Amino acid sequence: MESVIISGLQQGLIYGFMALGVLLTFELLGFPDLSVEGTFPLGAAVTARAVVEGVDPVLAVLMGAAAGGIAGAATGIMHTRLNINNILAGILTATAIYTVMLRTMGRPNTPLLAYDNVFGQVLGWFGLVESHLNTILFLTIIVVIARLLMGWFLSTDLGLAVRATGSNERMIRALGVSTDTMKLLALVISNFLVGLSGALACQAQGFADVGMGIGVLVAAIASVIIGETLFGKGRLNTVLTGVILGSIVYRAVLAVAMQVGLPAEDFKMITAVLVLLALTLPNMKFLGRARSKISGMVKGIKRSRTKSGYSAESIAGQSRGDR
Amino acid sequence: MIELDGVTKYFFPGTVNEVKALDNINFKAQDGDFITIIGSNGAGKSTFLKAISGVISVDSGSIKLEGLDMTGFPEHKRAQQIGRIDQDPMASTAGEMTIKENLAMAYMRGKKRRLSHAVNKKRTENFAEVLKDLGLGLESRLEVPVETLSGGQRQAMALLMATIARPKLLLLDEHTAALDPKAARLVMKITRRLVESHGLTTLMITHNMEQALKYGNRLIMMHRGKIILDIGAEEKKDLTVSDLIDKFTATSGSAFDDDRVLLA
Repeated sequence: MESVIISGLQQGLIYGFMALGVLLTFELLGFPDLSVEGTFPLGAAVTARAVVEGVDPVLAVLMGAAAGGIAGAATGIMHTRLNINNILAGILTATAIYTVMLRTMGRPNTPLLAYDNVFGQVLGWFGLVESHLNTILFLTIIVVIARLLMGWFLSTDLGLAVRATGSNERMIRALGVSTDTMKLLALVISNFLVGLSGALACQAQGFADVGMGIGVLVAAIASVIIGETLFGKGRLNTVLTGVILGSIVYRAVLAVAMQVGLPAEDFKMITAVLVLLALTLPNMKFLGRARSKISGMVKGIKRSRTKSGYSAESIAGQSRGDR
Repeated sequence: MIELDGVTKYFFPGTVNEVKALDNINFKAQDGDFITIIGSNGAGKSTFLKAISGVISVDSGSIKLEGLDMTGFPEHKRAQQIGRIDQDPMASTAGEMTIKENLAMAYMRGKKRRLSHAVNKKRTENFAEVLKDLGLGLESRLEVPVETLSGGQRQAMALLMATIARPKLLLLDEHTAALDPKAARLVMKITRRLVESHGLTTLMITHNMEQALKYGNRLIMMHRGKIILDIGAEEKKDLTVSDLIDKFTATSGSAFDDDRVLLA
């Protein structure tokens, strides 16, 4: 049981970065960015090569994340400057990345167990040994930082323009904003986070593989949906925290499935069923009540401060209905 | 000052459906002018405003704002100086975002958007104040998503957003047409107040002839892509709706065929 919790937490935190990135493009920008299936393993491949070359693991991970961001820019430029359909632009990027990864690593996979990893390195700075618990502590801290940075960014003048590009593109253009630039910016940030996620994943599992990206997108979407289902999708700050928790729940479910002896080949089916359940269960009354209890606890204080005639719940309900 | 020189726009050029939507338009508005625009179906009124705002590009001619030729500018670049509102109350506000956030985005029109907090205390106070002037009680609902407002309230918000950064030009394309009569009256009242208090140069398309005569200091009438009548403040004062119809028939040689026009 303990190993289930540890594995669920660690994986959930690592993939939490990706969930944040996917939330930004798919949900907030309304841009179904398929390049993430490529930028996730790209982050791993670049990190692996850098580590093998003797680069400090911390720097190597940042290089992996940056590679993801650059690939995101490629998708953005294809879509905004060359007028390629958004889905196709993502597919083209993901396809091209495959070659980039093979060229970067020189082969389809790179084992890293013989090298120092980012967790041992950073924990060492603070005089801590690399244990499961300490790794989780470190991951928790950086995922919280990423969550706070994201929340901050989305409340700045620039962040508002990015969100409005997803909410009402015509309107924000009429307010003097280049929506092309906003899309480009969001794609870079999103794929930076996805690349970071891949880089950390390769560090945690001790190898990088060109096939690592298969199925990561649906996992991230599952995390977003689970997060929004369990914790509500009213306020942006709730959603941002919710998707990270959703990622942890999703990985925990997979870990439990593994624990009870379900074969690995069933996992994709479990994922699909999980997404389906998360999307359909909220329409059933008993779960709606349970959720309003959970989100009520979270939002209780804020709601009592809202002086409007609308309750936070009715607004959340309305925005849910609109999507 | 906005100036159009020989602006022409074709739709479906080179096909059997070719339409000359704007036919060699020469037009000039002085600073502070409030100009109402009327015309029959397909006269080119909306195309006229869209050519100015850059939503569509023109085939020939030039468009200058305060002496700056912006004919080749993309829409978003022109929008830094031009506020505009369409008919659709959903179009000019971001429904999922709060009143406060919508106003913050509008406040930044024409300014560089950076990483400073969009809704700080100072701005919030400022927004509450301008909302209070609207008289709709929205100042106590700053945190509410705009999609929970009524159509009239959203158009009032849109007006505030179009004017809060003091654009050099305001374009209104039948912005009360989708509202019920009561909301439409309210929005027109707010329009007049904002336009007059900021001294904004304004072009307003309307289907309501009464409205076209009541508001503004100049009236233009369009027909088949041309401006066929241009009436100044003095002449406009004593004009009635039936005078206007007569003038139209005399100048265009055809009946005023607009099923939506309100004659009363």
